Parts: sequence; structure tokens; C-alpha cells
Amino acid sequence: MDRRGFLKLSLATGLSAATVATAAGCSGGSGGPSGDGGNVTLRYAWWGNNIRQQNYTKALKQFSTANPSIAIEPEFAEYTAFQERMTTQIAARDVPDIFWIASPQVMTYHKSKLYRKLDDIPTLNWGDYSKEDQETFKLAGELNTLPFAIFTPVIRYNETVTKADGVTIPAEGPGWTWDSLAELLIAYSKNNSGQRKGTPYAPDHDLTFEAWLRQRGEQLWTEDGRAGFTVDGLASWLDWWEKLRKAGGALSLSEQEGMGPDWAQVGKKVLVNFGNSNHIIDDAKMFPKEKFRLRAAPIAPTAAAGHKYLYFPRMAIYQRIDDANLEAAGKVLDYNANNPEMLKTVRLTMGAPTNPKVAEQAKAFASPDEKEMLAVVEKERAAERKPRYEAPPGSSTWRTTMTRICEEIALGKTSVPDGAKKLLDDVNAGIKRAA
Amino acid sequence: MRSRSANAKVHSHLNRQGRAAHVFLIPWQLGFLLITAVPLFASLYLAFTNYDILNPPEWTGLENFQRMIHDDQFWASVKVTLIYVVVSVPLQLGFALLLALILDRGLSGLAFYRSAFYLPSLLGSSVAIAILWREIFGDDGLINKGLALIGIHGESWLQNPKTALATLIVLNVWTFGSPMVIFLAGLRQIPDELYEAAKVDGAGVWRQFTHVTVPLLTPIIFFNLILQTIGAFQTFTQAHIISGGTGGPANSTLFYTLYVYQQGFVAFDMGYASALAWVLMVAIAVVTALHFLVSKYWVFYGDS
Repeated sequence: MDRRGFLKLSLATGLSAATVATAAGCSGGSGGPSGDGGNVTLRYAWWGNNIRQQNYTKALKQFSTANPSIAIEPEFAEYTAFQERMTTQIAARDVPDIFWIASPQVMTYHKSKLYRKLDDIPTLNWGDYSKEDQETFKLAGELNTLPFAIFTPVIRYNETVTKADGVTIPAEGPGWTWDSLAELLIAYSKNNSGQRKGTPYAPDHDLTFEAWLRQRGEQLWTEDGRAGFTVDGLASWLDWWEKLRKAGGALSLSEQEGMGPDWAQVGKKVLVNFGNSNHIIDDAKMFPKEKFRLRAAPIAPTAAAGHKYLYFPRMAIYQRIDDANLEAAGKVLDYNANNPEMLKTVRLTMGAPTNPKVAEQAKAFASPDEKEMLAVVEKERAAERKPRYEAPPGSSTWRTTMTRICEEIALGKTSVPDGAKKLLDDVNAGIKRAA
Repeated sequence: MRSRSANAKVHSHLNRQGRAAHVFLIPWQLGFLLITAVPLFASLYLAFTNYDILNPPEWTGLENFQRMIHDDQFWASVKVTLIYVVVSVPLQLGFALLLALILDRGLSGLAFYRSAFYLPSLLGSSVAIAILWREIFGDDGLINKGLALIGIHGESWLQNPKTALATLIVLNVWTFGSPMVIFLAGLRQIPDELYEAAKVDGAGVWRQFTHVTVPLLTPIIFFNLILQTIGAFQTFTQAHIISGGTGGPANSTLFYTLYVYQQGFVAFDMGYASALAWVLMVAIAVVTALHFLVSKYWVFYGDS
């Protein structure tokens, strides 16, 4: 081939490649191949650690084996990366058919009309859920997401250490208050054989903060998408932690290597931890020789009625899903929420099943830690609960800001009242920008 | 006529070569256009909008730039970045030059040392560094264990706002391999005759260094200075890994690019993040231009 011929060939190849690339770009990837002779491919996106990735991948394969016409393409990522990827996928209109929803994004995605309604899909059964349950699942009056698990705010304590050190964690009831917990943690930190502290410094733990607010008659978010708490409410929580920290009842930032400590590192340095009920399942495995137990969050003597609440991790079907794939997607959601077989594979790391029948069935195969979690959630579920609202658009970084403010308070860079005001101002500014 | 025909042939040959060059450049040009130019100008537009990625951008004029003036986090990130640039770049270059001078003295096993010293440059932005740094500077780290031996109880260097940035400066200095290799190449270009002449004139080692090595190395120093300064302004990964993306403790490692990332990919405030990115670009351009302006007073090119 002479040079002229080579140039022509190169140009032709380049143009072909560019044309193909452009065409591919235009075609988009959302929805995947569908409806071809009854075979459906669905994209399923979720987050977690590598154990959860393996378990869910296995469970989704089992689903496809049982339903040979439905193939599932898993899209997994770590929690933060998951949110980043979802945002870029939304911008590119390349959203997975089925996706989990990170808590700060629930109403943001709702505002962006990402969710398809779920109450008209014949393959997704709502029969096991009461009318009241279904009402609490709704977002702005629409049943468009599926809460597939429940977790609640808890205090997790190391029973092995309490027995060895002769400490008694008060039973739930009148003696189980925030003040009694603080006294216990301070006293324990001053005098124990293992030089442990009472707890990690964790005022930025969102679920226990929300429990505190609701007991004061406040809430995290309002129905109309505003911050539901006051500077005083937030300051009272930060103050409780500041007194605990100054009295030596909590680890210092240095001892726990910063905010949001790694449980594998600090688990051996503390007696209790503030957490979500489901965390016991993964966290307890890091200390296999020790036994962990759960208590529901302490209750202030003046707690408002209906302060208890449940947190639901949610999943949804993408609004623009191909109609031919909808029933298959409904089947996948049904498998996730209404079928105990899946839980045998994925276990209960995402919390207690929302479906009351499945929650009951899960007791038969739950591990001791999972049974502990199920028992706590069951009790909270039976309690009187006022409605809870999701984080409004524009508030997605409130937890990051709260962590920063708590860190500044602990380092003496800001005071509790100033920090509380700063956080609320920041939250309000974010909501206003997004409005 | 013959000459005209020859000229035409040469011209035609050059034209053909030019066309060939353009064809071979197509992949790069496409890449530049799609991956650099379009996003660059798109971000300039977005800098004047309120854009959360999920909804269409909304024109807000200069609002994002005005917002910076009252943004404490912005000023914190500017302060951290400037301290880092001013302290870490000279330290790193000085250390790299010192090592290059030692290696240039004809040590045996030069290739091994060169590779060994270059290795940290490859590791500098890896996750392994976060673990290593925690093992060294953490509450239970090597340094505090060493201090404990002499009765001093040290706190985590990474969680103290007064020392956290210093640990990142140490990390940057430690990754001196890249400028060191460039210095080494520069040192090899200085003719031996100049040192011999200096010796004949009675110059000792220090005078040879200050009157021969440094002047002839100034173009290389300038080159390294520009590269490392721009790199230091854009430092991101080390701070992201070691602070877990927060820029903590108390904003002490909140580098400018980390703040841009937080606004763009955590808060999804892409309009503001674009405005921040453009401010950084302009700042780097100004600093680089100043470097070039000042260079005529201290950079010695052999032909000038």
C-alpha cells in the first residue's frame, strides 16, 4: 500500500470509529437490552463492603437461576462512591433500572422525578404490609420507593467486658436515661482494668441525634422540607457530648484517630458505641471472642410522646425503565423485600426485614447477633411513633458539616452555641439554594 | 524552471507530510476537543450558574464568585494551599538537589539508589501511604512510641491541627524522586572543564557549587520550580487519603482542590465548584507568569 492509500485508509478508519463512537454515545445505555423473546436484563445498583458485594451478587445470581428469563447486571460501589456514580448516571440519564437510595438523596431524587410508582406492578406484592405501614413508606403521598429493611438508633455494648469489669448496663426503662448513661460512661472511664473509655466521640451519629431531637419534641426534617430542629435543640445534644468528653467519658480525637473512627481500631478501647441496630452484625465479627448486646437509645424523663422512630433504607425502580422490563423489575424488588430465601444469602446486614412476615421467618435462621438486632427493632416497631420525614433537597451534606462542627468543638476552635448556629445556618442555606 | 519545479516538488512533499501529520494527530485532537476543551469551556459557563447536576443549570451571574468572599471554608483552603506551596516546594527541591549532588559524585550502585529514591514518588498518592502515615504519625504510631521511650506522651500528629499539614509537607518532600532525576540529568550536562578551570583558579567545593553548579543548573531549577509549584497548587490525593476526604482536623488539611472536590462531588454544587476551579486556574497562571517574569533576573541560559 502506498502512502496515499494508507492515508485514505487511516482517515476512513478514523471516521468510522468516530461515527461508531458518536452513535454509541447517542444511543445511551439506560435500561439495557430488553424484551427480546421474553428475556430481560436489569441493572441493579447497591452499596456496601466487599462481603455485602459478594453476598448480593450471589443472591442475584440465585434469582436469575430461579428466573432464567431475567438476567441481572450488578453495579456495586462503596457508599460515597455509589452516590457520586449515581449523580453522574442521573446527569447522563444512564440510571440503573433498580437502585438503592442513600439517605441524604431520598428527596433529592424524588424532586428529580427518578422514582417510578410501585403500587401498580403486579409482580410486587404489598399484601403483607398494613395500610399504616404503607402510609409511612410514602414520599409526599406517593408509594414510589420500597423500604426493604429497618434500623433504629441503639447503644451497643460489649457484654464480655461489662461482665469482666463488673459493670451493669441499666435495663430499658426509667433508669435508662441520657444522664444515667453519661454517669456510667464517665465512672467507667475513670476506673477500669483495661484503660478503656466509655465510648468513641460520636456526636455526629445521625440516628441517635435524631432520637435526642424527637425526645425534645423536635425533629430532624419537617414535612415541608425544612430543618425541624432549633439551635437550642442541636446545642443541647452537643453540650451533652461536650460534658461527656471533658469528663473523660469518651475517646479523644487523637485516641480514635479523628471523627468517624474505624471500629476495628477503637472497638478494643471502649465499652459502648452509638450506632444503628444493624451495625452489630458486621462490627461484632471484628471481635469474635467477645459478645455484644444492644439497648435502644436512652430516653429522657421528659421525652415527648411518639418520639420513637424507624429508619428505612429504600430502593426504587427508575422512572424511565422500559415498560417491557417493569414486571421483571417488580419481581426483583419482591425478591428483595418479601422473600426470606434472599436473606439466607445476604443475611441481615441491612437491618430487620420491613415485611412483618419475613421478619418473623428470619428468626428461624438468624445468627445470635441478628436475633439481637431483630428483637430491638421489633420492640421499636411496636411502639407509638410520630411520622418521620426524609432529608430535603439541598441538605445532602448536613452530616459532613455536622462532623466538621463537632470536630471544631472538640478541638476548641468553636463553642457549642456558635457551632450549633453555624450548622443550622449552613443547612438552611443549602436548602434555600436547592429550592 | 528547474529550480521552480524542484520547489514545487518540495512544497508538495511538505503538504503531503502535513496532511499525514494531521491524520496522525486526529486521535489526540479528538481527545483534546472532547476531554479537555469542551469540559473546560462548559465549566466556564457553569461557573456562572447554580447547577446541581440533577437539574438544568440556572444562570446566576457573578453570585458564585461573590459567595467565595464570605465563605470561611474557601479562605481556609486558600491559606492551607499557600502554606503548603511556599513551604513544601523549596524544601522538596532543596532535598532533591542535595540527593542529586550526592548521587552525581559517582557512587557505586547508582542505578539502585536512583530507583530507590524515585520509588516514593510512585507511592506518594497511593492508599498504602494513608496506612503507612497512620503507622508513623498516628496516636500509637512509630514517632509517639519513640517519644514514649524518653517519657514524652505524644498525641496523634495527624489529628492535631497544628501538625497535620506538616505531615503532608513531609510526605511531599519525601516524594522528591522526580525532581531529583531531572537535577541529576542537569548536573551531567555541566562540562567538567568548568570545574577544572575553577579549581585552577583556587575555588573550593562551595565556590564551585555556588559559581559553577548553581548558575548552570538554574534552567533546570526553574523548570522544576514551575512543575512542582503547579503540582503543589493541585495537591489532592494525599490530603484526600490521609484526612479521609474531610480536610480535617479543623480544616488544617483542606487543600483547595479538595474543597473543589467536596463542593462538586459531595455537595453536588457543580456551579460553585466550577467557579472555584477557574479561580485556581487563574491563580496558577498568575503565579507561573510571575515566575517567568522574575526568571530573567536569576536564570542563566548559556547563550544569553
